[in-house]
Amino acid sequence: MRPLDEKETTAVFEKLFKFTGNNLKNIVESSSHEGVDENAGCYCFRLQKNKVYYVSEALVKRATNIERDKLVSLGTCIGKFTKGGSFHLTIQCLNLLAVNAKHKVWLKPTSEMSFLYGNHVLKGGLGRITENTTAGDGVVVFSMSDVPLGFGIAAKSTQDCRKLDPNGIVVLHQADIGEYLRMEDDL
Amino acid sequence: MELQEQKYQMVQIDLGNLMAYDRHHHFPSVPSERGELVKECLQKGTELVQAIADVLFNLPSTEDRDGPIVQLPPPTTRLPREKHLPKPKPPTKWELFAQKKGIKKRKKDKIVYDEQTGTWKRRYGYDRVNDDKDVPIIETKMTDEPGEDPFAKRKEEKKKRVEKQEKNRLQNLKQAVKVGALPSHVQLAATALPITGTQSAPKKVTKDELGNVAGMAATSTASGGKFDKKLPGEKPAKHPGKYRKFLPVVEGTGMGSQEKQQTDKVLSKLLSKHSHEILDVNKAVTMFNVKKEKKRKNQQGKFSSTSSKLKPKKAAHKKSSKKGFSKKGSSKGQTK
Repeated sequence: MRPLDEKETTAVFEKLFKFTGNNLKNIVESSSHEGVDENAGCYCFRLQKNKVYYVSEALVKRATNIERDKLVSLGTCIGKFTKGGSFHLTIQCLNLLAVNAKHKVWLKPTSEMSFLYGNHVLKGGLGRITENTTAGDGVVVFSMSDVPLGFGIAAKSTQDCRKLDPNGIVVLHQADIGEYLRMEDDL
Repeated sequence: MELQEQKYQMVQIDLGNLMAYDRHHHFPSVPSERGELVKECLQKGTELVQAIADVLFNLPSTEDRDGPIVQLPPPTTRLPREKHLPKPKPPTKWELFAQKKGIKKRKKDKIVYDEQTGTWKRRYGYDRVNDDKDVPIIETKMTDEPGEDPFAKRKEEKKKRVEKQEKNRLQNLKQAVKVGALPSHVQLAATALPITGTQSAPKKVTKDELGNVAGMAATSTASGGKFDKKLPGEKPAKHPGKYRKFLPVVEGTGMGSQEKQQTDKVLSKLLSKHSHEILDVNKAVTMFNVKKEKKRKNQQGKFSSTSSKLKPKKAAHKKSSKKGFSKKGSSKGQTK
């Protein structure tokens, strides 16, 4: 386990910024209430075997007692670095993103299952979408009852969404909570 | 024809350099103006070029893809030397000795008869006469010690001889340099010896530089120099292991300042890069327009209604605009 390099930090923050915008500050500088210490430490990012974990400092201190090879996971895994050096967000960061998301998309109940199977979101399944979403923005996908289902990249801006035909893709799927069942081994 | 011959007599043409030279040319009267001078020069020049062209086109030509090709004769004008004449090198130590003693050089044959094998072999090089490895038996003498290896001894002696010869060669070269008569191939190769004329001092390598270089050389093995035997007195490498330095995992009490600094730096960079996206121009424009419209409406309404009625309207209008601006940051609303 080690803290992130400067380059790695930039990569992680860039990816998170796509979804949260200026709320990134909340994520990085939020204070944790874990542990028995009086002064609440902050949350920090740690790298273990190419996976980036968002973990409170108190936990990190205790995790140093575990052997490096034997440490499997700590805190919440938010993503991993590929062999090529690029960073991808995984589904486990959904809670973090959902709270601080800048652009959200609500799905109709009929197309919820389709998204949970890993398909992209079509216009026909789109219930609501936040204003001034531009193409290429990160969006968090919710169900109509405000349950976060996953996240993805907006394929079209809000204006263009209106003009689209019902079978056009509006959100490119990146991760959904169905992955917990489908890709149990990978996570 | 006569005139032409006369012209050729006066003009010397060197076809190898494509040059025409008029020895008897002189200006009858030097024109005062520069323009006139230029014109006269050009005129004379054209005459000369014409002479060259005449002779050139009289040469036999071969047909080629691009046109007729003419083989120019070798040039006749002798140009001066580009570089200086090579200085005679000073006689080497052996040459001096030979002169004194009166030893003359003898022509040596390339192939010599080898007594040992009974064949004709080269005097030097591969498969040569009197080679050390061909000697099968060396008889011992009374002066030999019991543990000595005579073959090894011979090898060492040869090495010593070679070293001595090399030393002498270098000494001779140094003498030549003093005079300034270094052979050109050595001159080019020698960076330590100064080039004739300049007195450049040899570059001194500092202790740090040497240390760096030695370190780099030591670690440039496949395994990073980890398994190499260290010489006695050699200090351990300054940069052991990886070159990447990571921040400490957990730093003392509270969040490590270094890590915090780093994250803050990255965060601020990122936010500043995207700061231009904070303001939604379209929304701001529509808000401004709406505000203007309402103002105009109020202005019109002033003439028809009392002032007291306007105030609450204005207050309500202000509130809505404020709400709009605060909403911009976290826009959560339906599309219009």
